[in-house]
Amino acid sequence: MSEAALLRAEGLHRSFQMGRGALTVLRECSLSVAAGEFVAIMGKSGCGKSTLLHVLGALDVPQRGQVWFERTPTFSTAQPRPQRSQFDDSFSGVERRMVELRRRAFGFVFQFYHLLPELNVLENVLLARMVGCSLFAWPGARAAANRDTHEILDRVGLAGRLSHRPAELSGGERQRVAIARALVHRPRVLFADEPTGNLDAETGSSILALLRGLHRDGQTIVMVTHDSGVAACADRVCELRDGAIASARV
Amino acid sequence: MYRLFLTLRYLRKRQIAFFAIAAIMLCTAMVLIVMSVMGGFLDTVKQRARGLLGDIIVDNKRFGGFPLYDEFIAEISKWPEIAKATPIIYTFGLLRFPSTGATHPVSVVGVRLDEVRNVSAFGAGLYYDRMYPGTTTLADQQQPLLGRSAASGIDLPEPYRSAGAAAHRAGVQDDDATPNIVNRLLHERGHPGIPGFYAANETPDGIGPPALAGVPSPGIIIGRDIVARRQPDGRYTRWYPRGEEVALTIVPTSLSGSIDTPKKLAFRYADDSRTGIFEIDSKHSYVDFENLQGLLLWDAAERADGSGRSPGRCSQIQIKIKPGVDADALCTRLTAAYRELPNRIGVALTTTEWGLVQDIEAVTWEQSQVHVIGPVENERNLVTMLFGIISIVAIVLVMCILYMIALQKTRDIGIVKSIGGSSVGVASIFLCYGAAVGVVGGAMGAGFGYIFVRHINDFQTILTDAFGWRVWDRSVYSFDDIPSTVRPEDLARIFLVAILASTFGAVAAAWRAGTMHPVEALRHE
Ligand SMILES: Nc1ncnc2c1ncn2[C@@H]1O[C@H](COP(=O)(O)OP(=O)(O)OP(=O)(O)O)[C@@H](O)[C@H]1O
Ligand SMILES: [Mg+2]
Repeated sequence: MSEAALLRAEGLHRSFQMGRGALTVLRECSLSVAAGEFVAIMGKSGCGKSTLLHVLGALDVPQRGQVWFERTPTFSTAQPRPQRSQFDDSFSGVERRMVELRRRAFGFVFQFYHLLPELNVLENVLLARMVGCSLFAWPGARAAANRDTHEILDRVGLAGRLSHRPAELSGGERQRVAIARALVHRPRVLFADEPTGNLDAETGSSILALLRGLHRDGQTIVMVTHDSGVAACADRVCELRDGAIASARV
Repeated sequence: MYRLFLTLRYLRKRQIAFFAIAAIMLCTAMVLIVMSVMGGFLDTVKQRARGLLGDIIVDNKRFGGFPLYDEFIAEISKWPEIAKATPIIYTFGLLRFPSTGATHPVSVVGVRLDEVRNVSAFGAGLYYDRMYPGTTTLADQQQPLLGRSAASGIDLPEPYRSAGAAAHRAGVQDDDATPNIVNRLLHERGHPGIPGFYAANETPDGIGPPALAGVPSPGIIIGRDIVARRQPDGRYTRWYPRGEEVALTIVPTSLSGSIDTPKKLAFRYADDSRTGIFEIDSKHSYVDFENLQGLLLWDAAERADGSGRSPGRCSQIQIKIKPGVDADALCTRLTAAYRELPNRIGVALTTTEWGLVQDIEAVTWEQSQVHVIGPVENERNLVTMLFGIISIVAIVLVMCILYMIALQKTRDIGIVKSIGGSSVGVASIFLCYGAAVGVVGGAMGAGFGYIFVRHINDFQTILTDAFGWRVWDRSVYSFDDIPSTVRPEDLARIFLVAILASTFGAVAAAWRAGTMHPVEALRHE
């Protein structure tokens, strides 16, 4: 395991309660991502790739194991860990660290874009900046946030579509908005869950080109895909099998 | 920041929120209207119930009345807190109008007219006293008759003529009486008119000159609802001419309350009084205090057993106090002072008389009128509470609507959480949303309710003119107008409750949104 690991997961165990039995998706899963690395995670459908990504990205909590970001644990080690409701823990600080990571350190791109339909392109992206800003700090932070938002939308090639609603965009364009939103707060790690899964080959490759460009600029990326062609543009490809990282090839 | 942003955005973009706002608005307006009208009603009742009463009432609630009132009044008149005090006698009687044969059971009230004017608002409710200042008296008087005069064609005898002219010059408007035929004719000729109802001096040769006619009899002031009928427009049509003779039958009662032979006496209808309380105006008549005392055998007299003179009695003393005086404390002092009075001034009283004095109690006018004010107060609270309960429907509606929005927006909640929205933050979006619905709905409702209450009498007029439908019938309620003042503290309180209630309505939605697991929310179909 690299000394310079930015993100390190060890002994992750995640199972879901299914009626009487439990479905174990991750068991003893460990992974480490170095700063500036582009890692692709591959595996069969339903093998738990998204689940792993959620745990890494501080969206979900495993039953066992720990994730370190910059050598700091993501989850509190206090047991039992919340599985369904995180509300009770929001005051105790269990949630606070995860929320902080989501706000400042991680960016998430989902397979199904997940944009807010009521907001236009600009607002969807800007929202990610608002989240980290209190009401009173906002007037001061607003100008910088606006500039960053315009800049990132320009970079993903949507400078001319700022006032459009998600419903008025194509799939590829929506995915670009989602990427812009994930990047607008300059996250340390970008998580992408099958970013091209819903797109035709051509649009998919333009998205991939975008990710590669980001990576060249030093962005750490963890991407899930089941397409080996897509995985090929990563520095390293890990395979998730039986709930653990089975092999890694560079 | 995102909370406010999303709250405002959702408020604008979700049409369904308008239903919640409308519900809150209607309930706010409804409660405000009910509270204002009922509160105004209560205030008016209080003000009117006051009508005949001084600030403090000294009474022993006994049929035989109580003695030593003059001595007591002389004593307390020196107290710095007391402005004026006057004795009153209450008894029962039958009032008969010989001209129509109508008979009314009445409460007969003995007053010193010049004193009672200074103690209570009684004087302000007299009609003829206002239109002909100084002509209302409870002393012996004849009936004034209209007659021909060279100057204006028709006129009243003196002093009625000059008194009426003086009031007219002073700009006193007759807004109480329905104009009768004489006045309509006079108005056509440009004459100011002769307010009220006077009989004419009819002689075998037609109408004679203005005159004072008939046997002199003591004056009586009669409750206006006995001698007149209130019209839907709030004016009165009088049935009897001023100065007409009426027969009053009263029953003297002895010291111990036993009943003597009834007496029937002639009085002249000198004026009519209106307090605004139908119960009082349809049942009370007022005669001279000393006169009534004599008729009731309540005046000072030699005792039958020869043990000296028994002092004169009254049923009540009404006291006007100076402004800023603590009435409750004063009542306690007055009660004690009266009970010790016989010893202090060294009057020998019989056991019965002593007992009457020891039952004396001084109370404030509010305490003495609880039987009138209390029910209206309860009614106001009850109606406000009922409408408040009905308003819970609006809260439930807000609850449903917001919960529905939370369900519909499950995925969005997941998105906001995935980009860093905390549970508390996401929950507070819904709470803010509820509060915003409350602010907007409450403000609109308060505005609408305010305008409605302020113009409630105009609406009534429109309804009456358009459909002949009068919700607030003046001949029934004896209030001229529907109360139409909105108290700022009511407004503020209702507005605040609307916001709180609506925020409360958002709790379920906020709970759902807050406790939702981000990944689960994102997987939500
Ligand atoms: N909240 C949940 N409750 C129950 N089971 C779940 C839950 N989330 C995931 N699973 C199960 O865990 C397994 C792994 O799910 P996951 O979404 O991680 O798969 P995946 O590898 O991303 O698949 P795909 O390539 O199709 O996206 C699936 O069988 C799924 O049914
Ligand atoms: Mg998946």
